[in-house]
Amino acid sequence: MADSPKDPARMIEQARAALRRSIRGLGAYHMNACVRCGLCGETCHIYQAEPEPQNQPGVKAAKIISHYRRYHTFLGKVVPGLVGAKELTPEALEELVETVYGRCTGCGRCGIHCSVGLDVAAVMRAGRQVVAAAGLVPDGLRRTVENQLETGNQMAISAEELVSTTEWLTEDLRLEMDDPSVRIPVGEKGKRVLYLINPREVKFFPLSLMAAAGVFHKAGESWTIPRRFYDVTNYGFYSGDDGSAAELTRRVMEEARELGVEEIVLSECGHGFRSFRWEGPNWLGRSYPLRVRSVLEVLEEYLDTGRIEVDPEKNPERVTLHDPCNLVRWGGVSEPQRRVLRRAVKDFVEMTPNRQDNFCCGGGGGMLSMSEYGDRRVASGRVKADQIRATGAKIVATPCHNCADQLIEISKKYQLGTDVQAVVELVYSALV
Amino acid sequence: MALLIAVKVFAASAILWSVIALGVQVWQAWGGGRRDYSERAGSPARGVVYNFTVAMTPAHKETIRRHPFAFAIGLVMHVGVVLVLVSVVLLLAWPAAGGVVLRVGRPVVVLSLLAGAFLLVRRAVAGDLRAMNAPDDYLAVAVTCVLLLLASIPAMSSENPVVLLIYSGLLALYLPLGKLRHVVFFFVARADYGRRLGYRGVYPPADTGRG
Repeated sequence: MADSPKDPARMIEQARAALRRSIRGLGAYHMNACVRCGLCGETCHIYQAEPEPQNQPGVKAAKIISHYRRYHTFLGKVVPGLVGAKELTPEALEELVETVYGRCTGCGRCGIHCSVGLDVAAVMRAGRQVVAAAGLVPDGLRRTVENQLETGNQMAISAEELVSTTEWLTEDLRLEMDDPSVRIPVGEKGKRVLYLINPREVKFFPLSLMAAAGVFHKAGESWTIPRRFYDVTNYGFYSGDDGSAAELTRRVMEEARELGVEEIVLSECGHGFRSFRWEGPNWLGRSYPLRVRSVLEVLEEYLDTGRIEVDPEKNPERVTLHDPCNLVRWGGVSEPQRRVLRRAVKDFVEMTPNRQDNFCCGGGGGMLSMSEYGDRRVASGRVKADQIRATGAKIVATPCHNCADQLIEISKKYQLGTDVQAVVELVYSALV
Repeated sequence: MALLIAVKVFAASAILWSVIALGVQVWQAWGGGRRDYSERAGSPARGVVYNFTVAMTPAHKETIRRHPFAFAIGLVMHVGVVLVLVSVVLLLAWPAAGGVVLRVGRPVVVLSLLAGAFLLVRRAVAGDLRAMNAPDDYLAVAVTCVLLLLASIPAMSSENPVVLLIYSGLLALYLPLGKLRHVVFFFVARADYGRRLGYRGVYPPADTGRG
């Protein structure tokens, strides 16, 4: 985990080092490309809710780019005032905290629609890396990362609590499925699949875990949940602390090796999928020795191969789908969940826009762990609320627990009257 | 005649400097690159092609749909700039052809100049733009407008290119240092973005996502 330097000189030194690391082969391309045309405002859900300059993606990116210019461009070193180059100072870093954590979820929608083709989210993440290196990650987010590192999961749930939850879930599942052979294995060796879950499933919303277990059982899958490092989330990714993110990834891979699994399947989690599937190997500096898939891809495979069958009549209400940014725009998994839902529900309707064009729900980027930005988070959810209302759906399916928390909150706030479910829950409900 | 040769040598040298300096900057930004250890799910090449073609169309670019006027104005300005830059290179290598391009393309250059002037004013008055713009951003548009102005005056371009060539040389010296470097980084950034999203199977997308 990154140090938390108290000495201002050390803070700046670490921030500059992080800036240098973050731009190599990525950020610098984009920091040199922005033409500050100002056309990107409305692509951002936060700007739409609060249309002030500070929420303009270009303005947000410009703050980080100003520091890049100061240390990495000729004119920025010689005549900083001409090119808007700014020193990294403790005050500038404090200002960056609000910009990179409080005004941006890193959803990347602005980049998709940027007239130049600038990856604004990459620039913003470079900003998070700089701030994290300076030890200025907002408290709520920092504590969540610490929880993950100290206890193995972001909610500090003990192994005993996990086992006890799976035990009573198993009992319920046996009754529901009328099958005494149903099990939720934890930490068992020699299984084919290692299933990572969101601790939220253990603590507050066990229905999605129960549903996944029911589907795995029906499909005859050989699977287990890890005993120690079962957390699919990675808040090091959100905080910008790549050292912590790498450590969390390494632990899961180590447990997978110990258990001898052939494949890791990730529960429905947007940033968890992106972190583990795409960023993890790069944090570790090596390829994975086994396959990593989203449970959505596995569900589709079960349906395609006839390992499970579903009856859409069992889900008669209108269902729409929210696309988590990290799963779809950054993860490339956009179609399996649609094909699965079209089979498992009777009335599926798309939101507009959707897929890579979809708006962030407002809960991304670790926003839910930073209470200081709660009002802005809920306000920025208005865009998503309008999208949902326009569909007339009674159920919003979303393959992400962070998004689910935000969608539940905005459903109440904006009186949508919608239920929020994971895709696997709808599949489980439709099992025949 | 000697003056024209000297001016051409200066302009050509400045353009060469610009090309080398921009190349060095791209190389530095690359910094050895980053190997991607994740398992590929799509085609980086298809991602790049998509990002330079379909992704730039109004159907896939919300900024164009929301701001068609500002986008069109920007496009007009850049078309004129490209035309003048091509003319300048031709004036150095094949003066007769450069003169023809300037004469034929003059209406476009004038339109481009008007577009540039509009964009300069827009930058100065729009609150969001003022919040993100540094003096260099205004300077970049202003010096480009001067280039367009010179190219639109026959006596300073097609009839006697000395002034245009001197100015182009000066502009080429400045180009890699300030905001105008986006002339290269536009392509680099767009290619990088398309490559990464192509690698992950995000680009090209299965659907426009608009409904």
